[in-house]
Amino acid sequence: MLFNTTEFFVFFAIVLAVFYAAPLAFRRVILLIASYFFYLSWNYKFVVLLLGLTVVDFGAAFAIERAPANRKKPFLLISLAANLGMLGFFKYFNFFADNLAQLLRFPPHSWTYSIILPLGISFHTFQSISYVVDVYRGEQAAIRNPINYALFISFFPQLVAGPIVRAREFFSDLDRWKHPSEEEVLRGVMLIVLGLTKKMVFADQFAQIADSYFQNLAAHPGGWAAWSGVLAFAMQIFFDFSGYTDMAIGMALLLGFHFPINFRRPYLAFSITDFWHRWHISLSRWLRDYLYIPLGGNRHGRLMTYRNLMLTMLLGGLWHGASWNFVIWGGYHGSLLSIERMMGRREFEKRPPLWLYPLRALITFALVCVGWVFFRASTFADSRFVLSQLLHGGKQMTALLPRWLVYLTGASLLIAVIEEKFEWTDRLSRGPAWAYAAFMIVLLLTIEMIGVTEKAIPFVYFQF
Amino acid sequence: MFTLVLTVCGFWAVEFAIFHTDAYYTILRHDSSTGSVEMSIRNELKRVRNSPRQVLAVGDSRMGFLPRYANELETGYEFGTIALGGATPRDWYYMLRGADPSANRYSAIIIPMDDYEDVEIDEDQSVRAADLYYLIARLRYSDIFYFVRSYRHDPKLEWAAVRGVVLKGLIYKRDFQEFLLHPTARIQMVKLARKDSYQWNYNYVGPNENMEGVTIDWKNRTLTVPPGFTDEQKAAYEYRFLSPRTPYRGDRTSYMHQWLGKIYERYRGSKTRLIFLQLPRGPFVRPDQPAFNPHSSVRELAAQPGVILLPEHLFESLERPALFIDQMHLNGPGGAEFSRMLGKQVSQTLDAL
Repeated sequence: MLFNTTEFFVFFAIVLAVFYAAPLAFRRVILLIASYFFYLSWNYKFVVLLLGLTVVDFGAAFAIERAPANRKKPFLLISLAANLGMLGFFKYFNFFADNLAQLLRFPPHSWTYSIILPLGISFHTFQSISYVVDVYRGEQAAIRNPINYALFISFFPQLVAGPIVRAREFFSDLDRWKHPSEEEVLRGVMLIVLGLTKKMVFADQFAQIADSYFQNLAAHPGGWAAWSGVLAFAMQIFFDFSGYTDMAIGMALLLGFHFPINFRRPYLAFSITDFWHRWHISLSRWLRDYLYIPLGGNRHGRLMTYRNLMLTMLLGGLWHGASWNFVIWGGYHGSLLSIERMMGRREFEKRPPLWLYPLRALITFALVCVGWVFFRASTFADSRFVLSQLLHGGKQMTALLPRWLVYLTGASLLIAVIEEKFEWTDRLSRGPAWAYAAFMIVLLLTIEMIGVTEKAIPFVYFQF
Repeated sequence: MFTLVLTVCGFWAVEFAIFHTDAYYTILRHDSSTGSVEMSIRNELKRVRNSPRQVLAVGDSRMGFLPRYANELETGYEFGTIALGGATPRDWYYMLRGADPSANRYSAIIIPMDDYEDVEIDEDQSVRAADLYYLIARLRYSDIFYFVRSYRHDPKLEWAAVRGVVLKGLIYKRDFQEFLLHPTARIQMVKLARKDSYQWNYNYVGPNENMEGVTIDWKNRTLTVPPGFTDEQKAAYEYRFLSPRTPYRGDRTSYMHQWLGKIYERYRGSKTRLIFLQLPRGPFVRPDQPAFNPHSSVRELAAQPGVILLPEHLFESLERPALFIDQMHLNGPGGAEFSRMLGKQVSQTLDAL
């Protein structure tokens, strides 16, 4: 059940109706059943995995809390081994087996298996790890109610692709659950429609250009084609992922939960440092708190800081997928972050003066786009080809983007700039009814007239 | 809550204003499926009528009826047509409803049939997705039940039809996106194409090419084409004349019963007669002609008052390669002859009542 399908909306409407019709005491169980139903609808076989990890982490956290200080670690290690072991096996086994085979000069795929990646495993394992580590650190009390914990891990709006929610955020909503206010309902509905617009109008339109370019590079030689293809992918991945996140946040809001924001107009970033404060914020925050800081962060001198940045970003890259391209993408961003650190951290965290801002934002966007080449291309050879085309692709003027998609890009830039300045979408749910209605009508008409509705294109981040 | 209600009502009002009125027609591409249906109906609605005795033809591309030739006979009846390439009996019903809103404008409606026996065809027309695109501008909210149920053999299409009728923009989407590419050029093109389009269509005489030189050896089941014909043309002729007939499934009978019945219901008790005719079968007539079917849709309808079946062999004299442009369409001279014969026959039949 994709978020952008009728089946999902029927499912969500039923969940909402049953949730609010049921007595308060049953609502968590209803959400848990709905979440497992949602997961089962993808692939019933992996429900055992989800359930198994839930039991292990629930038990480990409980044991950590009860164990004396010097006996806590083994339980933490059991939980980490279970989560990272499953993630490693399902996501990285073939990658490492294949590389080892190549290293030892065995034929390719000698030791690989046909492994299906369980849905949302990268997200729910990270969420479990953060919970158990927080309990270990004494920052979070172990959850006593298994239903509550199972719901935290499987909650359907964010099960598949985040945002990665902290236990204390989730349980604070769950323990002190309040009926959403009218403003929250309006905001929730708006976010769902906005997310659908981002997905179906923007992402899916740009996806067709990006796919046609990256799936047949030889057919589209030249610098213009390369820039069109990369720009299309840059737009696709942003609108796709932030659209999904908006919908997840909106749905959670309608159910009385408050998820953190995951995107803050990342393509208006004025540096790579700023970009990572705006892109996939819940992952950046997770990597910072559970990887970068435990590695030492910036506490042990400049060289160690660069090392920690590089390691964090390399692993962050690998988290996205088992391929050297993702590792290179992570390394590329780690290098850029390190370079910015070398040049002076404050310079890249402080907003530049207005006259310099557009140039800085443009440079940052171009650098991010170069990174997307590794993210999207199927192989390293493909990435090299696209990069060579971007840099000196000749004078062939065949751009793949039709004119109206260029207008769409321009319109989205304008909306983002206005949003950056006034944050008006947030204000709409508090503003006059006519303004809210007018905005929503425009969104709905845009979905109707421009959105890709003939087929439901899966969200990009569902594969991670 | 008020805000959400306002949003839903506002969206519905805007959607209605754009797609359930003439607003979108001003930019609708004239030669799209929807645009062709609309232009055809609107031309018929604004046609100048010089006689109270009006006759209207429906049909698809095989209905080579050119009203001009029938009108030149001055039979006392005035002929018009809304026949359109690719239109099916389901489309005919809704097109007739558009052209004749109160079902009392015409003395007769001429309805062409490939045959009177409900011979099965490859395509199951009950699940023809294109009909939704042909008819979208004609469909109203009140059509949801009947129109959507007519797609019941394919739940996906059934759902697409529900969505399409409720949110017409989903069906106009491709047209609108094309419009966004060149908005000014589209508006100019549409204006130009619609201006005098009735006259252009009325004066159309059809192509002169024919199928002379094509021969079929029925015994050895071989078809020969003279130089100049392409392999694709030959393959299409072979498919039409030499391929085995589609086995009887009953789909055609059921479909024709439904939609011809619906057209009959619309005119039942009115002054309008429904006149059915069997079209010239083609430049060649297959030896394996279908057996007489006393329970076919048209034969059963013919038992009803106000329904007339023209003799099925009426146009046999036109079944010659010289009068066809391809395996199933009359050429210019064929269309002219057919139109005169049909105009004469229809007027005589109506006068004899």
